[in-house]
Amino acid sequence: MLKKRKKRNDERIYGVLFIAPAMLQFLVFFLVPLGLCIYASFTNWNTLSAHKTFVGLKNYISLLQDDKFWKALMNTVYMLIPIPVYLILSMLFAMACNKKVPGNKVFRVIYYLPYISSIVALVIIWKWIFNPEFGLINSMLRSWFGMKGPNWLNDPVWTKRMIVIMISWKLIGITAIYYLAALKNIPNTYYEAARVDGASSFKQFIKITLPMLSPTTLYLSIVGIIGSLQTFLEVQLFTTDGGRGYGVATVIYYTWQRAFKFNQMGYACAVATLFSLLILIITGIQLKVSGKWVYEGE
Amino acid sequence: MIYLLQIKNIKYVLIKSVFEYTLKYLFRGGKKLKKKLVSIILCMVMVFSILSLGACSGNKADTKEPDATEAVADKDAAPASGDTQETPSDSSAEKTHLTFMGWGNDAEVATFQAMIDQFETAYPNVEVEYIVVPATDYMVKLQAMISSGTQPDVFYCNPDYIMQLAMTGNLYDMTDYVASNDLFKEDNVWASALDFYRFDGTNVNVGNIYALPKDVSAFAIVYNKDLFASAGITAPTKEQPWDWNQYLEAAQKLTSGEGDNKIFGTAPYSLESAIWSNGADWLDSTYTKMTIDTPEFIEALQWCADLRTKYKVAPSVSEEGSLGSYDRFMQGKLGMMGVGSWATADLWSKCDFDWDLMAWPVSPNTGKNAVWYGGSGLAVAATSKNVDAACNLAAFLAFNEETQRTSYKAGQSVPTLKDMAYGEYLEMDAKPANKEAFLDILGGYGRRATQTFTFSTEWFSDFNSGVNSVFEGETTAQEFCTSVKDDLQSLLDASIEQKEALK
Repeated sequence: MLKKRKKRNDERIYGVLFIAPAMLQFLVFFLVPLGLCIYASFTNWNTLSAHKTFVGLKNYISLLQDDKFWKALMNTVYMLIPIPVYLILSMLFAMACNKKVPGNKVFRVIYYLPYISSIVALVIIWKWIFNPEFGLINSMLRSWFGMKGPNWLNDPVWTKRMIVIMISWKLIGITAIYYLAALKNIPNTYYEAARVDGASSFKQFIKITLPMLSPTTLYLSIVGIIGSLQTFLEVQLFTTDGGRGYGVATVIYYTWQRAFKFNQMGYACAVATLFSLLILIITGIQLKVSGKWVYEGE
Repeated sequence: MIYLLQIKNIKYVLIKSVFEYTLKYLFRGGKKLKKKLVSIILCMVMVFSILSLGACSGNKADTKEPDATEAVADKDAAPASGDTQETPSDSSAEKTHLTFMGWGNDAEVATFQAMIDQFETAYPNVEVEYIVVPATDYMVKLQAMISSGTQPDVFYCNPDYIMQLAMTGNLYDMTDYVASNDLFKEDNVWASALDFYRFDGTNVNVGNIYALPKDVSAFAIVYNKDLFASAGITAPTKEQPWDWNQYLEAAQKLTSGEGDNKIFGTAPYSLESAIWSNGADWLDSTYTKMTIDTPEFIEALQWCADLRTKYKVAPSVSEEGSLGSYDRFMQGKLGMMGVGSWATADLWSKCDFDWDLMAWPVSPNTGKNAVWYGGSGLAVAATSKNVDAACNLAAFLAFNEETQRTSYKAGQSVPTLKDMAYGEYLEMDAKPANKEAFLDILGGYGRRATQTFTFSTEWFSDFNSGVNSVFEGETTAQEFCTSVKDDLQSLLDASIEQKEALK
């Protein structure tokens, strides 16, 4: 009895030791900065100055009246568009990869490549592909259909569309890998039973595959939404100062500009705090709603 | 040191406990071997991650050590080369340590490293640590250093940031040093370059000096002589510069061809030059009111836009986005372009045609021309513990004759020292023939960019991001200026408010 308790105590210590590095990292690199950020959001901290004067809610009030913030927020919402697109496409890719076709491993590697490539390198290539005068896409449009392609790099609306296409393209591979792993986990017995009952393959997909993939879909949509809301590098690399009329800038880009370009760190912290809160609420709603459509086993 | 030991202890305890746990678990005789294997692998991952953490901290300790041993070696070597036994070792023990931070390409970094070596020879009791940061990360790095109180003693500082950095008390006031030092004479430096770093507590360009000009750059017009000859155009002289109409006429003659072979007469025209020479400006003389809706301003902006949309002698916005004018000119597909003195090296190596400089055209309304000049400076931190040594380093790096010579010979800049610029630089046997076009700007009609007079430059970047709609011909200059004026004014007001908050 006594020995057993000692053993349990031992195990507890080992457990704590095991998670200690991760917890420490979380504390130092996440919780402390978060607290500092919330505090700084109530001050008029200039990035170049050590002094922080407490200004109360002033930052938040001027933030809500700032046209640029609302523009950036709308642009950020626009970045959510690719999520359903790449979720559906990658599910199809995953099912294709799941078939025993020669060479499917090669495809898996190819799908994965965009995800591990450096974004700066990708942007350089995309800038070339989407170059309005001699880019690949517009040249194709011109020679095949005889139409004048859009001004991808200068017109903010088209730049946003281009970024959305790029995000989808980049994430399809990794998402497909997640789906593939989930597909492999579906016991074959379900399909056998369904086949015995005479279910068509479409019915099998609706009744078995989709529900069994729903936990993965939930995870991917949460991660995808958070990722999309944090779009930043694409904006910074494709545009100067957030595009014409601030038409491409996202909230994170706006925050970065405030903090490091215009040195309004206090104000930037207010944006960051408000936006984190928004992400938190969205994720909360997602998890709450998920009970209705996510299959969690018997 | 104690801190390090503690970390090592923790690491040791962690590794030991993980190891023991693994062994215990292995030899207790479980049932499922597979599970056991998985746990072993997990344990190994843990151990390795801890080890790699250790390796990181170990590396840091390692990098410190060679410095220490080198210092010791220096100490040992010093008496042998020095004249007496005691003094050198004493002085090396009291060596003043300076940090210097900047950005730059490989050539610039090599130049500066060589200069620092020279400085250390000239001032044997000072040692300089040179930190190089990519230009794009530079301000972020400086901001982080300032907020953690570890700013370098000497650092690059753009004119745009002088007001912000001086108001936040980060810059050492170098006025007295400039007046009393024996490394350079104040009146031998371009007044325009030195004025960049003046600030009197409210306005820039006047008052005390907060940095020294590391380099100075002028923005003149470069033209393709071969294209001029085949179009039968003679370039204007210094005494009789063109006006806008003559410039447009020349551009129309130069423009020819279609598609890939299209040759444009001119690059997009410098907005600053057009607006200032027409007697207008973005802001009033107190830098508190937007004045972009004056008829002079609108006329100048519309003229710049017309070159691209109406006369089509300059590339459109999308054509410019596909192939920048800079590259277009080098490929021989552009007649005239505004160019900075920093681009001389590129022009030397990339142009296989004859080229030269000319002055900016005058506005037909005022008969005057104008354009901006730029540069970056070397500032000394107000927190520096060795202000005198730091000032000497800044002056040495900024005004070293040898470096200035290397720099202009490499086609990177115009000398900051006036006697050198008007002397050996003009005599240098290299293109452009009309080097005076650069010097006329620095010593004459050049102006400091309007946005560097205000605390925040947000109003200016917003103006620029919107003005493309005029260049694309979607709106007229009149419509654009009246529609954005109020928004820009409120940004300017916010900038003034931020400035007042720091006072």
